[in-house]
Amino acid sequence: MSKKIMTVDDSASVRQMVSFTLKGEGYAVIEAVDGQDALLKLKGSNADLIITDLNMPNMDGIELIQKIRAHPDYKFTPIIMLTTESQDSKKKAGRAAGATGWIVKPFQPEQLLAVTRKVLG
Amino acid sequence: MSEEMDKARAAFREEAYERLAELEATMLELEESPENSELVDRAFRAMHTIKGSGAMFGFDAIAAFTHEIETVYDLVRNQQVPVTRELIALTLSAHDQIGALLEESHTGKTADEDRGRSIITSFQNLVPADEPPTDDTFFQESSLTPQIQEEKDSEPEPLKEKEATYRITFIPDANIFAYGTNPLLLLNELKQLGKCQVIGHIDKVPPIQDIDPEICYTQWDIILTTVQGVNAIKDIFIFVEDVCELSINMIDRGEEGLLGDEFEKKLGEILIERGDLKQEDLHNVLEEHKPIGKILEDSGLVKSSQIQAALAEQKHVKEARELRHKTESSSSIRVASDKLDTLVDLVGELVTVQARLGQLASVKNDADFLLIAEEVERLTAELRDNTMSARMLPIGSTFNKFKRLVRDLSNELGKDVLLTTDGADTELDKTVIEQLNDPLVHVIRNCIDHGIELPEIREADGKSKRGTIHLSAEHSGGNVLISIHDDGAGLDASAIRAKAVEKGIIAADAELSENEIHSLLFAPGLTTAESVTNVSGRGVGMDVVKRAIDALRGVIKIKSTPGAGTTIILKLPLTLAIIDGLLVKIGKNDFVLPLATVEECIELTRQDIDKVHGRHVANVRGSIIPYVHLREEFNIPGKSPDIEQIVITELHNQKVGFVVDYVIGEHQTVIKTLGHFYKNVEGISGATILGDGKVALILDVNQLLQVVEQEETQIMN
Amino acid sequence: MSATEIRETIQFLTFQLQQEVFAVEIAKVREVLELASITKVPRTPAFMRGVINLRGNVVPVIDMNLKFDMLRTDQTVNTCIIIVEIRLDGEETLLGALVDSVQEVMDLHPDQIEPPPKIGAKLKAEFIRGMGKHDDRFLIILDIDKIFSSDELNRMQKVSRSGSSVREKTLQQDESVEV
Repeated sequence: MSKKIMTVDDSASVRQMVSFTLKGEGYAVIEAVDGQDALLKLKGSNADLIITDLNMPNMDGIELIQKIRAHPDYKFTPIIMLTTESQDSKKKAGRAAGATGWIVKPFQPEQLLAVTRKVLG
Repeated sequence: MSEEMDKARAAFREEAYERLAELEATMLELEESPENSELVDRAFRAMHTIKGSGAMFGFDAIAAFTHEIETVYDLVRNQQVPVTRELIALTLSAHDQIGALLEESHTGKTADEDRGRSIITSFQNLVPADEPPTDDTFFQESSLTPQIQEEKDSEPEPLKEKEATYRITFIPDANIFAYGTNPLLLLNELKQLGKCQVIGHIDKVPPIQDIDPEICYTQWDIILTTVQGVNAIKDIFIFVEDVCELSINMIDRGEEGLLGDEFEKKLGEILIERGDLKQEDLHNVLEEHKPIGKILEDSGLVKSSQIQAALAEQKHVKEARELRHKTESSSSIRVASDKLDTLVDLVGELVTVQARLGQLASVKNDADFLLIAEEVERLTAELRDNTMSARMLPIGSTFNKFKRLVRDLSNELGKDVLLTTDGADTELDKTVIEQLNDPLVHVIRNCIDHGIELPEIREADGKSKRGTIHLSAEHSGGNVLISIHDDGAGLDASAIRAKAVEKGIIAADAELSENEIHSLLFAPGLTTAESVTNVSGRGVGMDVVKRAIDALRGVIKIKSTPGAGTTIILKLPLTLAIIDGLLVKIGKNDFVLPLATVEECIELTRQDIDKVHGRHVANVRGSIIPYVHLREEFNIPGKSPDIEQIVITELHNQKVGFVVDYVIGEHQTVIKTLGHFYKNVEGISGATILGDGKVALILDVNQLLQVVEQEETQIMN
Repeated sequence: MSATEIRETIQFLTFQLQQEVFAVEIAKVREVLELASITKVPRTPAFMRGVINLRGNVVPVIDMNLKFDMLRTDQTVNTCIIIVEIRLDGEETLLGALVDSVQEVMDLHPDQIEPPPKIGAKLKAEFIRGMGKHDDRFLIILDIDKIFSSDELNRMQKVSRSGSSVREKTLQQDESVEV
């Protein structure tokens, strides 16, 4: 069965890009528009990997990571955060919250796939 | 992908317009309540999204411009820059500028660059002098230049470093799992860099009742030999740098290894060299001596696992060095194939001369002479094998070509077929491989077209929807067996029979065994498919395959079980230059039969012939086997001995005997062509030169049989 | 090809079939062998006597007497195989010509050579390059490439295959295969 990946981003274009890149490699993709939406959709969906933006309305990425880690089903699930070059403090906060790794925006589809393979095996 | 990218770009544009509208509304609200930090956050986010996505989809000018504004807004968020009317006014003109840039991207209407630059300057002037505007340097160099690329993004050409061996000590934090990291994946990534030896240390694993499964107790030593360099190793650990102890040390490197400890002599060796110690004495002492690892372990200075790790490291470095040495010294060279062909010809002549030498030696019966002859025989055999093996290629590349064929054909026919292969590394003479391609294509086409059923039919028969064709190759004596198995419907014996009767290949009342019916498939013009498809073609049956395999001096066998599938086995000689033959004699004439076709040899007495009333069939352990009397067939004058020999061959599922005077035995047959003069001769495929210098003819058993059959039909008519 | 093409002194090897003397250009001759063991190839016309082992090469042998519709070459102490080099289908091929005896190598000047007779010769005119005159004897200079052209071979093989009676005859003539 193909691995399931959730992409969380308030930007439709980024979600679209992440989604088609991953689907092209045979992954199943769930899209969420912000932290709240993500938490809702994660329930019972058994995602194998979560790729989340940090800056989002309603619930931002840091809070989302904390909430995901607190959930028994997702304690050890890899989480990749999308950061921008300047957000070192954000990156650290995300890491402290339990993010597995990060991708610096802007990124190319190949980078996304490389990181996905790295954390999913 | 680019179509998808265009869609994403369109989505971005739409999104950016939405964000701009949001930014505008936020600014108007902010004018009302400048203290509302929530509004500043929203403005920041809008710009952040525009910038981030913009860069990703190639809107570099927008990204660069927005970045500058966002940087100032970051300070506003942190209350280092106050919200003023001026800020709001500037933001609104920035908003207009972004809008203009967006429009530029799809209408080609140029945005005012100078205006953009002046907006940025105005924003930067809002920042107090003592506040560093930004903590990153990335956009400063490239701001407003269209090409934005982070250095990390543009993958630098991987520098091919010299091969080196590293010791990597990886001690993950106990809570590494909580970051969603699986250390085993990192180890797997390391393995992809090169030859890698992983030693796990599990000393810290507590007794089972105390184990917390959420804690990582294990640590690893990895010995890795790679050409990728230390940075590639570091990159693997990029996400875990902060949650592990990592050390990477180079422990061996190309030329250093040669000058290093490899040439350092051991104490014992030096003592022996100086004549102070005898080799055996050293051996004895060393045997009593415990290995250093054992001594150290017993002393309690180091743990057993540490010794294991050190030993593994030692072994790995040694192997890496050996391998390097080997590849350096035994790298392959390319040789023109005609040079190899010449070499094979020469070896063929040598084999012939050697046979003469052997024969002469046994006649002279001189012990020394015999010894030399034997030595030459051994060397010749080795030389022959080595020369032949130089022309050998693995059949795998041919197999791979069929994957595409199977895929395309099964799609075309609406079938679901999987091709599996086995023995791709089986080696065959390159000429044989080249000539094998076409018949294999034909057999596989047949399997897909006639063998494998449509998915619905398969399902109805209780089979998996997907059919399988299994292609395998293996060595068997001096031959290669290539089998093509499909799990399709199997051969329909009655359909084949009916078709053969219809085409006049067999008589309507002919009594045929199942094997004989299967062998009808090879008759020219017989195809059993009810409809002619453009896959298997019209009227081109398995006779094409048979002819090709005959040319290779090979044999075809078919096994089929209705409903369970068909297996076609091709038995081929390893090479075309020298074959294993069976030497026989009729009168004073010598003939060679390809050993691959020979099943057994039995005696045929006058009584046996009488019993079957002179008809050309022999009773072999209860089964009736037709035979060809070669002396009669070839009109060789003289009288047959009372007890003749019958050589039973099996060809394409059919057993036929050939009666000869004497069977001499196996013979390494160097094949010589009979040349232009004899190109039309039927039943003889070549000649070979015997030890006594005489020429023996090589029989083309299959062709001979056809000729005999034709003649018999003519006589009957 | 006619005698007029021979413009300079050429060396010829002469040999005898029955009572007649023939000549071939020495440039075409590789060597002359004593009669050795010939392996008959089954189902071939009688004039194709078989193959011999020439230092590891398998070389076909043609009975020149039979080729020229004379009697089969008998085995005597003088019987020889002349190995000639011919072009067959554009390829240099070695071929053994079985003859009753080999005589000598001689020089012939162009003025000693006359064009082949239009009539009166037993052989097809195209096989003959010319008539050599030597010590008041005539010798027939053969065009060896023509004699063994593939067209000629095919014709010969067809003739001997047509009808089983021919084949029967061939077989009887082949009785001394085991030389």
